[in-house]
Amino acid sequence: MAEEKKKRAITRLESSALVRPLVNKMYMEGTLAGMEERPVAWSMVNWWEGDIIMRAMGVTPVYPENYGTVCAALGIAQKYMGVSVAEGFPTHLCGYAQNTIGYTTEMKREGKVPEGAPMGGMAQPTFMLSSEGYCDARFKWFQSLRQFWNVPVWTLPFPHPAYTDTSLQDVHKVNVEYMAVELQGFIAFLENLLKKKLDRDKLETMLDNQEKVLKVWWEINELRKAKPCPMHARDFWTMMVPCYYLAYDPETLTVYQQVYNEVKARVDNGIGAIPDEKYRLIFAELPPWHSLGFFDKLAERGWNFATESIGYHPPPPMELNGGSDLLYRIARWTYWQYINTRYRAAKMGYPAVGAAQPFYNWAVEYKIDGILTHPLVTCRTATFWLTHWMNVLRDKLDIPGMSIQGDIVDLTVFDAATALNQAPAFEESMDHFRKVRKSKGLDW
Amino acid sequence: MSSKGLAKAEDIYANRAGRVRELKAEGKKIMGYVCAYPPLEMVTAMDYAPIRVIGSMDQPITKADTQVASIICPMLRSMLDLGMKGKADFFEGFIGAHTCDCTEKFCHLYQYNVQFPYYHFLDVPHIAHKASFGFMKAGFQLFQKTLEAHTGRKLDPDRLKEEVKKHNAQRALVRELYALRKQDPPLLSGSENLQIMLSLLSIPIEEGSGMLKDIIAEVKARKDGPKKKAARLLLWGSPLTETSIIDMIESLNANVVMDDICTGTRHFWHDVEMTSDPLDGLAKRYLDDLKCPRTFRETTSSFEEDQEVRFGYIKDYAKEWNVNGVILQSMKYCDTHGYEVPAIKAYFDRLGIPSLYLEHEYTMVALAPLKTRVEAFIEMIS
Amino acid sequence: MYFAGIDIGSTMTKIVIMDDEINAQVIGPTGAEHRHLANKVMEEALSKAGIAFDELTYVVATGYGRINVPFADKQITEITCHAKGVSSIFPSARTVIDIGGQDAKGIKIAGGKVVNFVMNDKCAAGTGRFLEVIADALGLKLKEMGELSLHSKEKVRISSTCTIFAEQEVVSKIADGVPIEDILAGLHEAIASRVFHMAEKMKIEKDVAMTGGVAKNVGMVKALEDQLGFPVLIAREPLLTGAIGAAILGKELVIKALEKGEAIEKGARLLEAASFFK
Repeated sequence: MAEEKKKRAITRLESSALVRPLVNKMYMEGTLAGMEERPVAWSMVNWWEGDIIMRAMGVTPVYPENYGTVCAALGIAQKYMGVSVAEGFPTHLCGYAQNTIGYTTEMKREGKVPEGAPMGGMAQPTFMLSSEGYCDARFKWFQSLRQFWNVPVWTLPFPHPAYTDTSLQDVHKVNVEYMAVELQGFIAFLENLLKKKLDRDKLETMLDNQEKVLKVWWEINELRKAKPCPMHARDFWTMMVPCYYLAYDPETLTVYQQVYNEVKARVDNGIGAIPDEKYRLIFAELPPWHSLGFFDKLAERGWNFATESIGYHPPPPMELNGGSDLLYRIARWTYWQYINTRYRAAKMGYPAVGAAQPFYNWAVEYKIDGILTHPLVTCRTATFWLTHWMNVLRDKLDIPGMSIQGDIVDLTVFDAATALNQAPAFEESMDHFRKVRKSKGLDW
Repeated sequence: MSSKGLAKAEDIYANRAGRVRELKAEGKKIMGYVCAYPPLEMVTAMDYAPIRVIGSMDQPITKADTQVASIICPMLRSMLDLGMKGKADFFEGFIGAHTCDCTEKFCHLYQYNVQFPYYHFLDVPHIAHKASFGFMKAGFQLFQKTLEAHTGRKLDPDRLKEEVKKHNAQRALVRELYALRKQDPPLLSGSENLQIMLSLLSIPIEEGSGMLKDIIAEVKARKDGPKKKAARLLLWGSPLTETSIIDMIESLNANVVMDDICTGTRHFWHDVEMTSDPLDGLAKRYLDDLKCPRTFRETTSSFEEDQEVRFGYIKDYAKEWNVNGVILQSMKYCDTHGYEVPAIKAYFDRLGIPSLYLEHEYTMVALAPLKTRVEAFIEMIS
Repeated sequence: MYFAGIDIGSTMTKIVIMDDEINAQVIGPTGAEHRHLANKVMEEALSKAGIAFDELTYVVATGYGRINVPFADKQITEITCHAKGVSSIFPSARTVIDIGGQDAKGIKIAGGKVVNFVMNDKCAAGTGRFLEVIADALGLKLKEMGELSLHSKEKVRISSTCTIFAEQEVVSKIADGVPIEDILAGLHEAIASRVFHMAEKMKIEKDVAMTGGVAKNVGMVKALEDQLGFPVLIAREPLLTGAIGAAILGKELVIKALEKGEAIEKGARLLEAASFFK
C-alpha cells in the first residue's frame, strides 16, 4: 500500500504549480525588504486600488489576510488565535485578524520574526494600508494593530452604492471621482512618508500589465463553463493569489497565459478537473484553508466545483466610462470589480434588491447542479448572504444547496464529518432537481 | 395617548408599535430608518415621522433563520424577524444605510423580504477625509432626489433649516435631561433614561420635545429618584433596545449615570451647524460629529494620542458625570465594537478608571452569569 | 465569635465555620433544591463544630447559588471570596485560576483584594463539565482521568473546542485504536490552553494558585503548569477557598463594624429557612 500512493481525485493544473514560486517570491521580497530596511506596507487586499501605486513608489506590500490562509493551511494559526484571545480580542473577530494580532504580539515579544513563523514571517511595517471595501474588519483591524506598531494607517475609500440606485451612471461618476480624489490623497501621504515622488511612467506600465492580467484571468474563468469543467475551485484558490497581489508583475501575465493554454487544451480535448464529473457545483464563499483535502473526498464522489468565491472573481471587460487619467483608470477597475455583477443583473432585469444575481447568472451559465455554502464563525461578510443565495437558487432555478459549518482559520469548528455524512442525501436531491429543471424546460 | 412625562415614556417604551399605529391612524406618514446615520431633518422636512427600526431582545428569532445564519448580529436578525412577521407594516418607506457591513446587507435583505413602497439606501464613508464630506453631501442630494420622486414634492431649503432648528432644540433638551444625572444620587436612573431615549426614537420630534420638557420638570421636582449607590457607572457599547441589562446593573449596588450607545447619547448629542446650504452642516454632523466605532479616525503620532482622538469624548463624559467605573458591553458578533475593546479598556486603565467588558447574546434571558461579573466588579471598585 | 462561609457552586456546596481557625468544614453535593441542601450541609457543619446556629455571628453566602441562602447575612460574589480565601492560605499568590463545574475564572489579587478578573463564556469547554462529559463517554471515573493522562507517551491533538464535537472526536480516536492515555493528555492540554489564554487577558503573575474541583485532577494541574511554565500552588482542599474567603470577609465586616461602633448589618435569617433545621 505504501508503494502505491493513492492518486488524488482532483487533477490539478500543471501550470498551477507555477504560481507557487510567484507566491514564494512575494514572501521573500517582503522578508528581504525588511532586512534591508526598505519600506514595507502591511496591506489589505484592496482590489488593485492602492497596490500598484505603492509598488510604483518602491514599497513592498505584505498581505496579512493571505498570511492568515498560509498559517491556517500550515496549522499554526490556532496558536496565534490563542494569543489574540489573551490580548483581550473577542473570539468572533475575523480569523485572519486574530492570526495577525497573535503573530504581532509574538513578534513584539520576541523582538524579531517569531520562532516558527511560516514563509519567513511578515517584516515590520513602515505603514499599514486599510480598505473600506467588503468588510469592517479590513479597516478596524489595522487600527487595532496600532497598539503594537507606531506607524500610520491609511484607509482607502470604497463606496457602497445601493442595488436600487436608479441613476447608476450618476452614482458611478460620483463614486469613481471620489475614489480618484482619495488616491491623490494616498499619493500625497506616501510622498510625504517616503520623501520621494511617484514615478507616473512606472505606474502606467504596471497598470497596463495589471489590465492584461485581469483580462486573461477573466478568460480563464470563462473557459470553466465547459463540460466537464476543466479547472477545479482548488486551482482557482491557488491562482487567484497573484491576481490580487502581483497583478503588476509581468511574470504573473506569463504564468496566466500558460494557465490559459492548459485550460484551453483541456477544454478542446474534453478533459475535466476530476475523472468523472457527476455534479457541477458552486462553492460559496471562502474555503476552509486548513482542510482543503476535503475537496478530494468530494471529487471522489464526482463533485466538481466549477465556480466559487464571487468576491475574488475578476470583473469582465470594462463597461464603465470614464476619463483616461491614471488614477481614474485605477479607481474604475476597483469599482467595477465591486459593482459589475449587480450592474449586469440590473441590465438583465433581475430584482434590484436581491444580492444573489451573480449566482443566478453563474448557475445558468455554468449549468450548476448544487451550491455548497460554508458559513464562517469568524466572518460575517462571507456568511451573511449564503442563506439568501441558497434560497434564490432553490426558488428561482430549482437548484438545491447544502451547508457545511466551519471557518477560514479556526479548524476546531469545521464539521467535515457531518457534511460527508449528508453527501449521499444531497446527491439524491441534486438528481431530483435535475429532473425538475428538465421538466420546466431548463436545459441542464 | 393620555399619559404625560415619565409615565408617557414608560407607556411608549412598553408598546412602541402601539403609538406608531395611533399616529398612522391619525394620518401621519411613517418612515422607518436604521442606525443613527440617516439625516432625520430631511425626513421631517418632507412631513414624515421618522421611527427607528430596532430589534427586540425579548422575542425569539424564528422566521429570520430562514434568511440569515445565526452568527450574524443578533439585533439585525431580530429586526429582520420582526419585519417578516408583519411588525413593520406601518412604514411607508425605509431608509437603509451603509453604517457597518452587516447593516448594509441587512437593509437590502429587509427590503427584499418586507417590500416597502419606498426604499432608499444611503452610502456613508468609513473615513472622514476632506473629500468624504462632499461625497456624503452628494449622497444626501441623491436621497433628496429619491424622496422628491416618491412624494412628488420638492424639499424646501428654508423648511429644512427650520427642521434643523427643531431637531437641535430636541438635542438641547436631551442634554439637559442627561445633566440631571450628574449629581449623586442621580435624579434619573439609567433604565428610566433608556426608556425615554427609546420612546423619543418612536414618536415625532415635536411630540418628543414636549415629552422631554414635561419629564425634565417632573424629574427636577421628584423625591422618589434613585438611591445613592456604591458605583456610578458609564455604559459604553452596542445599541440596547431594552432596559434589561441596565435593570440588572441597577438591581445591584450601582447607578448607570451616563452612556455612550447609539440608543442614547450617540444619537442625540451633537447639534447640526447652521450652514448656508443646510446639507453641508448635515454632512459634517452625521459623518464626523456622530461617534461610532464604524468610522475610522486618522492615526496620529502615537497609539496613546489615537486613543485620545477616538475615546477622548468618553473620558469627558466620565469626568463630568463623575463615574468610578465603566461597563463596556457589546452583543456577540458585533465586529466594529469588538475590535474596539482592548484599546478602550487600555485607555480607561491608563486613566485609572476600572472597566468591565460584557459580551451578551442580545436576549433578556441568561443574564445571570453577567450579573455575577457586574457584582464582582462593583465589589472590586467600591 | 463564629463565622460561616457557604459557597454554593453548580455541583458542590461547601461550608466553613471558623473563629480564629477553621472549626468545621463540609462539602456536599448541590442538588436542584439549593435551599434544602444548603440547610442540610449547614446542619452537618454546625454539629461538627459543636455549636448552635444562633452562635454564628455572621454568615456570608457565595457561589452561583448564593441568593438562595435565606439564612445568610450577606451575599458576596465568588470572585471576591476566592481572592480572599486564596490570599489567606497563600499570601504570595497574585493570580487565581479557578476551574469549577460550570465555569472557569481568572482573578488577579493585590493585598487580598481583586484587581482584575475574567470569566469564561457560557460554553462548557474549558470547565469541569467538559471533563465530565468525556469521562462519561469513556466510561471512566473523573478521578482516574487525570492519573491515566500522566502515562501518555505521545499526546494527541484534540482539535474541537465544542464539547459535543470533542466527544465525537474522542470516540472516533478510540475507535482508531489511539491509546486512551494519549487522548486524555490531549484533552487536558486543550482545556488548559483555553483556560490559560482566557486568564492571560489579565496578564498572569506569579504565584498562581489553582482552585476549584478541577484542581484535584493531577492531569489538569500538569497541563496547566505546562502552559504556564512553572508550578502552581494548590490548597489542601482546593474546593474550600471560596467558603473560607466568605467566612473571613464576614469576620472582617464584623470587626470593622465593632471598631467603628456601628451596628452590624444583618440579613433576615428567614424563619422559613430555620424550619429546615428540624
